[in-house]
Amino acid sequence: MNEQEYYVSSGTYWPIIGSIGVATLFVGFANQMHGASWGGSIMALGFAILVFMMFGWFGQVVKESTSGMYNSQVDRSFRWGMSWFIFSEVMFFAAFFGALFYARQLSVPWLGGADNNMFTPELWDGFSATWQQIVFNTPGATLQSGTAVSVPTQLVDTWGLPALNTALLLLSGVTLTFAHHALRADHRNNIIGWLVATIVLGVLFLGFQITEYGHAYHDGLKLTSGIYGSTFYMLTGFHGFHVTVGVIMLTVILYRVQKGHFSADNHFGFEGVAWYWHFVDVVWLGLFIFVYWL
Amino acid sequence: MTQIIIIIIVAILIALGSGLLGMLRGGSSGSDKMFKSLVIRVALSLFLFVLVMFAAFMGWIEPNATMMAGSHT
Repeated sequence: MNEQEYYVSSGTYWPIIGSIGVATLFVGFANQMHGASWGGSIMALGFAILVFMMFGWFGQVVKESTSGMYNSQVDRSFRWGMSWFIFSEVMFFAAFFGALFYARQLSVPWLGGADNNMFTPELWDGFSATWQQIVFNTPGATLQSGTAVSVPTQLVDTWGLPALNTALLLLSGVTLTFAHHALRADHRNNIIGWLVATIVLGVLFLGFQITEYGHAYHDGLKLTSGIYGSTFYMLTGFHGFHVTVGVIMLTVILYRVQKGHFSADNHFGFEGVAWYWHFVDVVWLGLFIFVYWL
Repeated sequence: MTQIIIIIIVAILIALGSGLLGMLRGGSSGSDKMFKSLVIRVALSLFLFVLVMFAAFMGWIEPNATMMAGSHT
């Protein structure tokens, strides 16, 4: 293709289909959270629309790419597009990490009487300004005033699943780096092996994360368990959602590698997904350190 | 110990950001920069994880599970 010409794709309906899919998914999710019996079905419908959109949209872009419609200008557009997407992702997680720091370092201590708020705790009988992985599973205790409270009895195990999950995700960063190296060296079989290992590690992470949620929920840590429960589930839940998206994208890239869509010096699709996975990896490392340790 | 952990996290973020700039630049030099930066970010992340686990094992840091100062019970 002539370098002077810029390929402009024809009008496409995939973005609006994607938007309808996401909206349907979240309407279903929100209603599921509120106990609506039809929430799950609407969620499944939204997910099906999203999968349909991914097959259609990805397929169209791949077809345009392999038929040689993209020149270096289009390549630059893709790189900038991915970078702005990443910028929005960074700001998204920055907001939730910001909420974690604000609640933990400022608002909860204030409510507990820090600075010039010494009488604030007196406003609510039995209020306890705490921030920890404490499990409330002993109902029935009462204060002197007769108010029933739950008593913290044990701590969520930091050494167990969270540490194992961190190791799994960090290892997936290593296997992905090996895949990246194999792609740059043009060793296709090695790329496939390392990519499969990365995907398996990602799926294992998600499985253990679901197990961890099961333990935490069973022990009494819920979205409604005060500001700690809210920020814990918001941060780790959205991270888990990103890992899911990353696994889907890596699977698409695996398919494209098998089809021979990438070469040692032309593989932006792989680079974009690889960077995204490294980013999701670093977000988890930040979560592990700031939620569980510092 | 906390300061060392924070410094390594900042270094990881810088390596990740450098990888992003490499990806944005494209071409063979950008691709090299991206790959090298991501290798550094993986190595630093592994080092940090091992360091945190070792520090916890040695008792230099403790899980974030203590009651906050100023709590009212």
